[in-house]
Amino acid sequence: MAILEVKNLNKSFGRNHVLRGIDFDLEKGEVLSIIGSSGSGKTTLLRCLNSLEFADEGQIIVNGETIFDAAINKRPSEAELRQKRLHFGLVFQNFNLFPQYSVLENVTLAPKLLGKGSKEEIEQYALELIDSVGLKDKVSNYPCELSGGQQQRVAIARALAMKPNILCFDEPTSALDPELTGEVLKVIRSLADKNMTMIIVTHEMTFAHDVSDQIIFMDGGVIAEHGTPDILDHPKSERLQAFLTSF
Amino acid sequence: MDTFFQQFPIVFHALNVGFLQTLKLFAVTLLGAIPLGLIISFGSMSKFKPLSMVVRFIVWIVRGTPLMLQLLIIFYFPGLVFGQQLWGGGEGGRFFASAIAFIINYACYFSEIYRGGIQGVPHGQQEAGQVLGLSKSQIFFKITLLQMIKRIVPPMANEIITLVKDTSLARIIALQEVIWAGQAFLKGSEGISGAIWPLFFTGVYYLAFSGILTLLFGWVEKKLSYFKA
Repeated sequence: MAILEVKNLNKSFGRNHVLRGIDFDLEKGEVLSIIGSSGSGKTTLLRCLNSLEFADEGQIIVNGETIFDAAINKRPSEAELRQKRLHFGLVFQNFNLFPQYSVLENVTLAPKLLGKGSKEEIEQYALELIDSVGLKDKVSNYPCELSGGQQQRVAIARALAMKPNILCFDEPTSALDPELTGEVLKVIRSLADKNMTMIIVTHEMTFAHDVSDQIIFMDGGVIAEHGTPDILDHPKSERLQAFLTSF
Repeated sequence: MDTFFQQFPIVFHALNVGFLQTLKLFAVTLLGAIPLGLIISFGSMSKFKPLSMVVRFIVWIVRGTPLMLQLLIIFYFPGLVFGQQLWGGGEGGRFFASAIAFIINYACYFSEIYRGGIQGVPHGQQEAGQVLGLSKSQIFFKITLLQMIKRIVPPMANEIITLVKDTSLARIIALQEVIWAGQAFLKGSEGISGAIWPLFFTGVYYLAFSGILTLLFGWVEKKLSYFKA
C-alpha cells in the first residue's frame, strides 16, 4: 500500500487556478522530486500536503487514512490540523529557524512542547540528529552565527525530530550560495540512503536525477510528465524538453 | 530668605514631593497603557472591518490632538456637561483625570508600536511552528513574542522617555507635580518668593530619571542582542 496517495487536488487563489487535478502515489521509502518553472504550482502542492493551504477539491491519504478530503471538510479544526500536520515535515526555502533559540533548542522545542518523550530522550535524539547533519560542534550556537547551509541542515534536523512519515523540501538550496548547496544535498542524499520517504521541490536537476525514484514535472498546475528519473534523459513532452534546455 | 544655601533644603524637599507625584503619574500611565495598547493593537489589526475602522479612528483622534488639550477636555468636560465633578475634588481628582488622559494617549501610541512589532515578525516563523504541530498560543508565546519584544524595545524606550517629560503637561490642570512645585517659589511659598532657580532645577530631576531609563533600556537591548530577528 502506498504511504501517500494524492487524488485530484485542485486549488485556486481567486481566479488563479494553481493546481488543476494533481494525482500521484508514493511508496514508503521512495523519493519524489517535483520540478517545473516557478508559478507551476510546486510550492502550493507542498503547502497543501502540509495543511498550510487547503485544496478546493481532492483527497490526501496517508497510510490508508484520509487526512484531507475537500468534499467532507475544507477547513479542519485547529486540533485536527495539528494531528494531520505531524504526518509531514517541511523544510523551507529560507530555513525559518527560530532566531532566539540555539541549534539544540530549535530541534528540541516542538518535541518538548508536544511531550514527545522525556527531556533526556528528546535531547539525546536531537543530538544524534544534529550529529547526523554534521553540526555536532554547533549545538549551542544561535542561527545568526551559522552559514545558510548550516542553518538549512539544522532545519532538516528540526523537521526530523518530530519523526514525520514524509519529509518535504521546498527548494531547500535555492536561498544558498552555490558553494553551500553541496553540504545540504549531501544530507538529503544520506536520508534517501536511510530510506526516508521524501518529496523534494528542486531546481537541482542532476541531484533530482540521482536521488529520486520518481520525478514529476509540473507545468501550469498540471502534472505534465511523471515517471522515473529517466524522463530527464528522454523527455517525451515538448514542454519538459524546453524546460530542461533552459538549464 | 536670601541665600541659595538657605533656600536649597526647603526647595529640595518641595521638589521631591512634586517629583514623587510625577513618578506616580509615570508609573500608573505605564501600568495602564502597556496592556491597553496591546488590546488596541489587536483591535486595529482585527479582520472584522467595523472594529478595526472604529479603533483606527479613535487612534487618529488621540494621536492627532495635543495631549494638553485632551487633559483639559477630560478634566473639565464632565463638569461642564453634567454639572458635577466626575473626578472628585482636590489633588486626588486631578491625578485621576490626568492618569485617564495619559493612559488613553499613550496606549494609542503603544498600540502602533506593537502593531509594527507583531507584523514585523516574518510569517515564516509562524508557519515553521505550524508544520511542527504547535498550537496558536504556543507559537505566539514561544516563538513570536520574544522576537516582537526585541523589535519594539527601541521605539518603546523612545516613547517612555518622552512620557517622563510629558507628565509635566498635567501642570495645566494644576496637578502638583515637580514643575508645579518649582513654579510655586516664583509666586511665593514657604517664605520664598521671586525665585526662578527652583523651576530651572526641576530639569535635573527629569535628566536624572531619563538617564536611569536610558541605562535600563540599553541593558534590555543588550540582553536581547544575542539573536538577530
